[in-house]
Amino acid sequence: MNDKRPGIPTYALLGVLALLFLYPIWWAISSSVKPAAEIISDPLGFTLGDVTLDGYRAMFADVPIGTGFANTALVLAIKGGMTLFFCPLAGYAFAKYKFPGKDVLFGIVLLTLMLPTLVLIIPLLLEMSALGWVNTYKALILPGSIDAFSIFWMRQVIAAIPDELLDAGRVDGASEFGVFRRIVVPVIRPGLAGLAVLTMMNVYNDFVWPVVAVNDERHQTLQVVLSTLAQNISGNRIGADFATVWSELLAASSIAMIPLLLVFILLQRHFINGILAGSVKG
Amino acid sequence: MSALLRRRAAPYVFVLPFFLVFAAFGAYPLAYALRLSFTKWTGAGEARWIGFDNYTYLLTSPEFWASLGNSSVMWLLVVPIQLVAGLGAAVLLSNAKLRLRGVFRVAFIAPFVTPLVAMAQVWIVVFDRDYGLVNHALNLVGLPDVGWLTSTAWSKPTLALLFLWKTTGFAIIILLAGLQSVPSHVYEAADLDGASRARQFWSMTVPLMRRSLSFLLVIQTLAVFQMFAEPFVVTQGGPYGSTTTAGLYLYDHITASDLGTGAANSFLLVILVFALSLVSVRLLRARDE
Repeated sequence: MNDKRPGIPTYALLGVLALLFLYPIWWAISSSVKPAAEIISDPLGFTLGDVTLDGYRAMFADVPIGTGFANTALVLAIKGGMTLFFCPLAGYAFAKYKFPGKDVLFGIVLLTLMLPTLVLIIPLLLEMSALGWVNTYKALILPGSIDAFSIFWMRQVIAAIPDELLDAGRVDGASEFGVFRRIVVPVIRPGLAGLAVLTMMNVYNDFVWPVVAVNDERHQTLQVVLSTLAQNISGNRIGADFATVWSELLAASSIAMIPLLLVFILLQRHFINGILAGSVKG
Repeated sequence: MSALLRRRAAPYVFVLPFFLVFAAFGAYPLAYALRLSFTKWTGAGEARWIGFDNYTYLLTSPEFWASLGNSSVMWLLVVPIQLVAGLGAAVLLSNAKLRLRGVFRVAFIAPFVTPLVAMAQVWIVVFDRDYGLVNHALNLVGLPDVGWLTSTAWSKPTLALLFLWKTTGFAIIILLAGLQSVPSHVYEAADLDGASRARQFWSMTVPLMRRSLSFLLVIQTLAVFQMFAEPFVVTQGGPYGSTTTAGLYLYDHITASDLGTGAANSFLLVILVFALSLVSVRLLRARDE
């Protein structure tokens, strides 16, 4: 683009927008370490000297947030691993092979992309109870573990690899899977990093399915644990401990978002470039 | 020979895992739900075949239409603003001479990374009528309290703001990707013709970006009509049902053990969302050709 040097209005506009986007995050985290009473009496102020972890202590005592973290980590490891292995593999088949039935099969992938998750919630829940899978890790992990969006995205990324590179690998005697593992995977590493971050976010933040599939505390994921705290709050609205409850709520919210924000800050270049590599042009 | 055979078989093996998972947890429940939608069933005992009764019940039920109405208002509050403002921000960010680009990009995408449930709870606190941050700030400049989450007039905009705050960064990144492929000579020619920046935006950038814009339009239309966690956590659908979105209304059938009606509701939603996506993509295409 024939870019002109941006003027002060551009910087002012972007700067104000950036602050508006960041402020709620800063406010939640900074308020979570304030004395409870001040969250209500002085919501705008923040003094470093008053920092306290009382809200966190109370929150740890009230909800099994450690269990929530452990369950989310387990689901993340297995479900994320499946997505990161099987989706690029299927994307590779759709991008680089010609085979009978390919168009029909890819059409199905695209159709499932359009399918609202909510449609499946009720029948999936019934299927889980028929299988005896309600309140199990299997129910949290398997549905959606190999998803259409990731396949579609990986197909876009892999399509950009020149065919000559793959043929060169075959001449060297690599097997079909060997070509994928030794040639495709190293080339698409930035796209894979993007997929890894996006998958991590999706699984970590997933809420609708976990809240339906699991109702005992031992299997609840972090987001579900968080949401039960919120329900306690609306039940306690006239309680004397209003400020304390809010303090706990903000502590729980902050502790839930900090790991993801850290991962994002560390990997943001991969994440943004990954989305850029896989998205539509024009 | 065996290498050729393996090459023929390889793509089927590579796509098989997806289709296994899809068959078990996608196609099967979908077919089951279709059958379920023609029955009356509470989750226990025998399901009773009742033909189209669930569908006619929903189509004549004021609550069903109210939930669609709420989602439509939400769509109006979110999608047009997000597409236009997102494209504007993306154009500013795509300027190669802009300093601090990386910082701005990170700031805009950061909300997208935060857990929705966590931020929904922050919204409860920030927009509380009596003790919330926003009303506190309004009072400081002499303005009265607003019932952000307790009045039917403000409940939808307040939830729409959460959705906008959370997902606009993602829209900006998608649009930035699209902008990268708009050839620069198009703008050089327009500069020579003396077209203003505003004019260039509407008559060139928007049409040239129609693929990215229609992609976002479809994705966000799907997302808005499935909106669930925001009202579930923040307002539980209230006040007076004003934030009972299509997604939340669907969930109500589960808690009410009215599974046949719920299944029928799912299919009506699918049809609606498909139709909306098709119409919006058509509209964007027609303007250009």
